[in-house]
Amino acid sequence: MKCTECGHEASPDKFRYLYNARIDASVSMRQCPNCMEVLAVDELKREALKKVGLGDAPWGKSAGIEGLAEDAVQTT
Amino acid sequence: MAEPALNEKIQEFEGKQQWWWAAEVKRSKRLDYLRKAVWRKGSTGGAPISPIKLDLEPALRRIELYKQFKQEPLPLRMAKIHSAMWGSDLIYIVDQSQIVGSKTPSPSTEEWYGSGGIGNAAVYNYPEILPEPLEESLKVVHDVGQFWDQEGEAMEKLISGGDPEDMAKYQSGAIAWGSLIGGYSGKNYEYFMTGKRAFEDIIEEIEENIAKAEEKTQGVSGPDILPLYNKILNWEAMKLSLEAGIRWARRYARLARIIAENFETDPKRKEELLRVSETCERVPAKPPRNLQESLQYDHFIQVLARKEQVEGAWPARPDYYHGPYYNKDVNIEKNITKEEALDLIGEFLIRAYDMPVVLAMGKWVREGLQGIAGTWVWTLGGVKQDGSDACNDMTIALMQAARLVRTPNPTFAFRWHPKVKDEVMREIFECIRHGLGYPAMRNDPILIANAMHWHRHPIEEARTWVHQACMSPCPTTKHGTQPYRMASATANCAKIIEYALWNGYDQVVNMQMGPKTGDAREFTEFEQLFQAWVKQMEWLFSLLTRTVNYARYVQSDVVPRPFLSGISQRAVDSGLDIMRPDGERGNAWITAFTWVENPDSLTAIKKVVFDDKKYTMAQLMDALEANWDGYEEMRLDFVNAPKWGNDDDYADDMMLRCLRESARFSRELKDPSGNSWPILPENVSGNIHYSSIVRSLPNGRRQGDALYDGGISPGPGLDKKGPTAVLKSCGKIDHIVDGRAFLLNQRLSPTQLQGEKGYQLWRAYMKTWADLGLDHVQFNMVSDETLRAAQKDPEKYSEVIVRVAGYSAHFVDISRKTQDNIIQRTIQGIG
Amino acid sequence: MTLCIECQSFFPIEDEPGRGDCVKKCVDARQTYYSSRIVSQDNDADRCDSFQKKIIPKEALH
Repeated sequence: MKCTECGHEASPDKFRYLYNARIDASVSMRQCPNCMEVLAVDELKREALKKVGLGDAPWGKSAGIEGLAEDAVQTT
Repeated sequence: MAEPALNEKIQEFEGKQQWWWAAEVKRSKRLDYLRKAVWRKGSTGGAPISPIKLDLEPALRRIELYKQFKQEPLPLRMAKIHSAMWGSDLIYIVDQSQIVGSKTPSPSTEEWYGSGGIGNAAVYNYPEILPEPLEESLKVVHDVGQFWDQEGEAMEKLISGGDPEDMAKYQSGAIAWGSLIGGYSGKNYEYFMTGKRAFEDIIEEIEENIAKAEEKTQGVSGPDILPLYNKILNWEAMKLSLEAGIRWARRYARLARIIAENFETDPKRKEELLRVSETCERVPAKPPRNLQESLQYDHFIQVLARKEQVEGAWPARPDYYHGPYYNKDVNIEKNITKEEALDLIGEFLIRAYDMPVVLAMGKWVREGLQGIAGTWVWTLGGVKQDGSDACNDMTIALMQAARLVRTPNPTFAFRWHPKVKDEVMREIFECIRHGLGYPAMRNDPILIANAMHWHRHPIEEARTWVHQACMSPCPTTKHGTQPYRMASATANCAKIIEYALWNGYDQVVNMQMGPKTGDAREFTEFEQLFQAWVKQMEWLFSLLTRTVNYARYVQSDVVPRPFLSGISQRAVDSGLDIMRPDGERGNAWITAFTWVENPDSLTAIKKVVFDDKKYTMAQLMDALEANWDGYEEMRLDFVNAPKWGNDDDYADDMMLRCLRESARFSRELKDPSGNSWPILPENVSGNIHYSSIVRSLPNGRRQGDALYDGGISPGPGLDKKGPTAVLKSCGKIDHIVDGRAFLLNQRLSPTQLQGEKGYQLWRAYMKTWADLGLDHVQFNMVSDETLRAAQKDPEKYSEVIVRVAGYSAHFVDISRKTQDNIIQRTIQGIG
Repeated sequence: MTLCIECQSFFPIEDEPGRGDCVKKCVDARQTYYSSRIVSQDNDADRCDSFQKKIIPKEALH
């Protein structure tokens, strides 16, 4: 996996897992071991998506009336 | 600003739902000053708040007094130390205040009384809370710690006397959240808050009891007089403590008068100070006569109880006990206007908000109670002992004051019943709409029945109930009040399913914690796993309740409470320290943190492994061992299994099964009074504190993810069928017999619930809630946009309040993980 | 040696002969407040930063 900020490449498990705020989403936050930036990571594709700043919502809006909750991505 | 311009400003802010700016404009200059004067006392995201510092001097003074009174019998020693401390502590009065009294030496410091052993860890680990120069402070901390290590301070005595294996596991940090000293005090309000008696009256009762006892101890010898010797000591200690409390309050009387006569130049303020002086001269010695005296009396007692010992909660029923004085002053005699009453009540809230607890305490407290000092949940509404509506003008005034001062603590919980007037419901809704996150709603008929069922309180006593901590009802009567419940019967329940999967072994703390219930890889039937779960549950609940029972049993021999005893009828009548359970009916409960992970994980395994046979147990265990890393598709299969909160019997039946097994076992567990230990699912911010301590689980979470937000709330975003489905799921639980109470967080849309239509929608929702027999619900009503903006620009949004779990906090004071967890809670559309 | 009783901040306590309230006006970044501590009138005030000698009115001297 390649860091979107510094370009560092390593296997995904070397990027420290922080958390996933939406259990039914495949986007988690991991930390680059090189530049220490917090990145949104697509856990299905094992790909870093972008840096996560304060106020960013890599999972999108919360579920419910302002964006009806959808099921997690079906794999089969 | 002229009034029309003010009104325009208020409307502008309210139109944008910027309730905090509107409140700033609306409240009086005095309330604005006092509100802004408070240095926040809670933690920020788990770290101590700067620039609050500890004052180490009380710790040194306490050591000297301990040495001075060391030869005294323990109850007298405690009373004399407190008496001397309260006589020599620094006190202060803030400019413009009318309610006085603080635990702290100054507005921006917190006293440290010193401890040894692990109690010092918190102080060492956060040197930024120590005063400069740091080197000197660290030396003081070291010397104080050495002293108490040699003397044996209370916590160490308690731990060393208990079962070693129990204590080691309890102290591991994996399964239990609280402390064996420090927890939730109950107060016998029916004894001292009804206007019938105050401290001097109680002292008279104590003196009579001593005289009667001494007549016997100086009379004919016999075994029946033997217990009286200790009782006399306890009574003497109670008397000393109450007298010390009166003297301490009168220090404020003198200070107010000194300020008025020597410092203050404004004639109106001089008059106020002289009234403060008169008030403090009177209470708590004599019963209050008016609203100011009543509030002051209450506040003095709360401060004194907390100067005696750490109290992590604040049971109170301010509208019920202060309402008669409000009515007299505002409505009948018209001594003060409504606005003047609001100033007093608003300040009363601010004084409570200012109460510290957290600074020198460990990480588990700071992370579990992010943003606040303690769970000050005040009870409003409900019924009187005769069953009639207890709401009064003070109920309304408290809510109006809360919207003006916007303190996240104290937080309110309202005892709803079918006879509550529309006027009161509207005030409640306004508080929720203004984003305070409170009042939480409690179903009074259900909870009264619950108290009668589990703890056999007679109905008249059950009707007096207040929140002992966040959720658990407790009567305020002689035999019904539980004077103290240690925080340590607080279970990290996610460990139950974890241990059921890992044969009782905890890989995070590297200990065999629970019983060996089998290698889950080899389970061929779901029932094997469920029975393993039951055994782990029984083990966990047994261990925690054993430790609390033991702590309660020995507490009066290790650290008695003569002041709390002196305001408790059971202690005054019996001559026993109030911590002794003799004569107490018992009101125990197990706080069940991280509960829903259990049924959701069990359901997922049953569906995906045993019903659909998509994976084997061995494959699941491999994925859990890897923290789901590299197993994302499989993880999503487990996430997509039926989940609690969607009115789906497949998942809901599992919840009921787990609860009913726990309820069955609760009836076997007995507290020191012989009463049961029912469970109470709720969380505070323990879901964040435990996020790295609980391993990956079959509901799809990884180690590091926040656990669910607690109680019986569905996982954030996992309630996909709307609010009625959530209520229907929760309604399948029997809220009287399946446990003590059940916390439900719900999030509502501020856009959808505007205006009269919004209020009617909410009323309809509450009717469904009541009809389905739920006992609790509490609301966040703040948009994603506001919360995301607050993350980006915290200084601009420093006053935004959110409901975390059993409490509210400023959004900017909680950690990023907690913030994201709250934002991800489903926004229910109830229209 | 200067004594606390000679200080402007010292206010004798009627019911406690020989003792008094030492009252000071304090200001921090958020508020003004008045603090008080009980002291003995004969306490050594030589090292007290807040000591301010009491001004005794002429009439009282006679």
